[in-house]
Amino acid sequence: MAVSSSLRNTLSGWIKGGRRPPAPPGERLAELFALFQQILKFNNQVLDKIADMGTKLGGSYIFDRHYIETACQELSEMVYHMINDLNAMTHNRYMALYDAFLAINHDIQEELAGRVVIPHSDYVIPYQALSADFVEVVGGKNANLAEVKNLVGLATPDGFAVTTSAYQDWLEHEGLKDEIAVELFHWHRREIDEQEAAQRIAQLLERAPLPPRLERAIRRATERLVKHLPPEKRFLALRSSAVGEDGEHSFAGQFTSLVNLPAEKVLEGYRKVVASLFSAPGLVYRRDKGFADQEVSMAVGCQLMVDARASGVMYTLDPRDLKREVMLISSVWGLGGAMVGGEVMADQYQVERRPPYRCLGIDIVRKPERLACAPGGGTRMAPVPDKLQTASCLNVDQVRRLAEAGLALEKHFKHPQDVEWSLDGQGRLVILQARPLNVRAGMASMVPDISKVLDDYPIIFHHVGSVAQGGVGSGKVFVVRNEDDLERFPDQAVLVTRQSSPRLAKVMRRAAAVLTDLGSPTGHMATIAREYRVPAIVGTGLATELLKTGMEVTVDARQNVVYAGIVKELRYFEFSEESFEETYEYRLLRRVLRKISPLNLIDASSPEFQPASCSTFHDITRFVHEKAVQYLIQGDFRRHADAAKARKRLKCEVPISLVLIDIGDGLRPDALGREVDPQQLRSIPMRAFVQGLVQPGLWSTDSVPVDFSSFMSSLTRTFSFSVASPKHLGQNLAVISKHYTNITLRLGYHFTMIDAYITEETNDNHAYFRFLGGVTDIMRRSRRAALLERILDRNDFRVEVRGDLVVARIKKLSRRQMEARMRLLGYLVAFTRQLDVKLVNDKEVVRAVDEFLRLQETIEKRLEKQA
Amino acid sequence: MERKDKLGILILDDEPIVVRRLKPALEKMGYEVETFTRSADALARIEEKDFDIVITDLKMEGVDGMTFLTKVKERSPRTEVIVITGFATMNTTKESFQKGVFDFLAKPFKIAEIQEAVKRAEEKIRRS
Repeated sequence: MAVSSSLRNTLSGWIKGGRRPPAPPGERLAELFALFQQILKFNNQVLDKIADMGTKLGGSYIFDRHYIETACQELSEMVYHMINDLNAMTHNRYMALYDAFLAINHDIQEELAGRVVIPHSDYVIPYQALSADFVEVVGGKNANLAEVKNLVGLATPDGFAVTTSAYQDWLEHEGLKDEIAVELFHWHRREIDEQEAAQRIAQLLERAPLPPRLERAIRRATERLVKHLPPEKRFLALRSSAVGEDGEHSFAGQFTSLVNLPAEKVLEGYRKVVASLFSAPGLVYRRDKGFADQEVSMAVGCQLMVDARASGVMYTLDPRDLKREVMLISSVWGLGGAMVGGEVMADQYQVERRPPYRCLGIDIVRKPERLACAPGGGTRMAPVPDKLQTASCLNVDQVRRLAEAGLALEKHFKHPQDVEWSLDGQGRLVILQARPLNVRAGMASMVPDISKVLDDYPIIFHHVGSVAQGGVGSGKVFVVRNEDDLERFPDQAVLVTRQSSPRLAKVMRRAAAVLTDLGSPTGHMATIAREYRVPAIVGTGLATELLKTGMEVTVDARQNVVYAGIVKELRYFEFSEESFEETYEYRLLRRVLRKISPLNLIDASSPEFQPASCSTFHDITRFVHEKAVQYLIQGDFRRHADAAKARKRLKCEVPISLVLIDIGDGLRPDALGREVDPQQLRSIPMRAFVQGLVQPGLWSTDSVPVDFSSFMSSLTRTFSFSVASPKHLGQNLAVISKHYTNITLRLGYHFTMIDAYITEETNDNHAYFRFLGGVTDIMRRSRRAALLERILDRNDFRVEVRGDLVVARIKKLSRRQMEARMRLLGYLVAFTRQLDVKLVNDKEVVRAVDEFLRLQETIEKRLEKQA
Repeated sequence: MERKDKLGILILDDEPIVVRRLKPALEKMGYEVETFTRSADALARIEEKDFDIVITDLKMEGVDGMTFLTKVKERSPRTEVIVITGFATMNTTKESFQKGVFDFLAKPFKIAEIQEAVKRAEEKIRRS
């Protein structure tokens, strides 16, 4: 942190004081190239670091704040160096990058200092844009509901959260905070009692004007929420979502929620809910618990009213007798408020915690009244028709749906849940609230000694593969071998599959756990598993061999063990722990990563491709890389006379536009013109690469039919659609010398980098290949990554795949063997140019690999004969 | 599998997240685990009880890890010490091993790695 703030000061000094970064070093070509190479090096390091930080979210590492701080620090320095290098290359053409860098770095530093950064305009945030990462600004109730909707995939009321910064700003507005402090002071001095204090503060809040910008924000969000509804349906529920040191749950019941509030009264309602923060019981509770008043803050959930046919509460584990292991559901007709408040009797169902979710006990009571929405707003008690009074509010199917939802919530939040739910007019199940059931202490007693219990369960396999997402999941195995299997995937089964394919995303959140034979913890599937928090072990090598559909297993993706049978104790043991995802460090890492890893600048030809549009470190990295390549290809080297002379274009019969820069002996002396013939190449790696690149049979010139979904995908990413047109294949650059070659290719929307050094000295030889990006959807891109992985692996490269990033290395082969590998890379570039468009399913990958290897063999034989 | 008495482990790290996550991971393996985030408290505890294994951070407020592990080794030479640190340097590593620590892990580490180290320490203790 200290280093970083000094860095910031230095930077601010430059920008404010007008001091410029160091002038570009000498104008010699070698130095220009050294800068370029350094940018490439940092570029790779930054991307690696970002991927590395992402894997820390999976739960198999122990890290602390210090790690997050150091990692951010290292990243920030590398990104800063890249900006320096680019400006040194280009005579300070991109000074605006420093502003972008400072803004991002500032936000990261704020997060690290414990101040949650939300864009200041965000007084309100819609539920679809929320997650648990925002718990500090929207409160637990709002954050949980957003997770239920966005990650668990259950229906919740539409709506938005009014943030704590709205609350803070209101208190700061026109001295309100001080007036409240005065009343609290009187109370603390016992000059008035808590009733009096609460009442006075409520009056203050009722009168105090809201900041105009806040008023507008709430009004607009409400209008957006209700505008598609007929006037008689424009009603809201406003719920308190307090944020405090201790989580909101200790405050349960102290705050006001408003039900069936006419949309036009939203501001009035907001004031009332906020005022409840200063209710008499709330004041006393916080005083007794030793909370300072400024430690608590109020966010509000503003939701469309669900006019419920029936409502109730579900405990996913009956807290009265944990050892019975049943769920407890209570329900009433109408709205749930009267039941939660204890005013009406409710039906009760005790339900088994596993399919088919049989009811072990049903207690139907007489329900003469129900809580109903009153016309014009508010609620009233209404009579229940005679024949419904003694009828069950839920049928068997509804009980099952509730139970399934309950277990899905429990799995996601890693703890038994207390769920408020409603069935709406159409009989649709809507989740109104989910929070942890307060049974942590009891859970521990259910598993007296976990290590002894575990001895009783046979282990099927352990410590093979890598944990992609920690956690415990159990259920029946379902082996997925093809698309059809995927369609039949049962809820809460253990997904077992050979390959980790992003195609699994659609069933992943319904899976109890995921086991794969192949794959890496940095792949796409691992990312998805982490997003949905599904316990996942990848690359086991033997899951499909040992596990058959229908077997009951328990996956412990904390210890990396798979047990035969349902080890329910393990699940309960996990319930007794604080889950990793609830820790501050987990949320902090996720929040800083939001400023680091998303890539928004994709299309270099878009007018948006500007320093000012860079909003993450990834964006800056991408921008610097692109501009550095561009500068070498088309920059006016002004004083670089020798550089301008060194720049040539490769004459080539295949549709690739390649600029060559010779930094020493890479071309024959007779290569004097602006265009170079492949025969004039003297660079050993480049000759071999070009030889591979131009082989007939690899460049399919016919345009590939592009199917609808990849077309849509390319549209939504605002690319101009031009995969098949050679003239849009982008700019490509090769920097060469006798023994060295560095190639940057942009074919279509793929990025390829090759770096090779080949001499007679076997020990010095190396080649490095890096491949990233593409126009099609993420599944196809990762299929292409799988294809490259197999081909490169077959050719002795050491291959690492991270999502759609493929990195392959090879070294210390003889010159002849290295040349063969460079030819291979040439074939590959030609072959994969537009391949991902063809990779419509996993079978196509296998077919394409075979096709390629056959082609490779044919060509190599042909070349051998020619030689 | 038959078990002898449970081995006792003391964990000291001033980052609460580290001890909170290590404790259940080691309990699951059948150890008895006590955790501390203040070195003064941990020091007091080792005066009362000899632990089989001690896991400690190096850089902390108050008494630092090196002093702590020296005290541990003085009091109970058979206690195996595993050092975990986010500031690994050649010097600290060397010094730790000179003091007779069993293993040295740089943070962040995988849960499996520390479990592995603890298991090896246990084997050593059971053999002796």
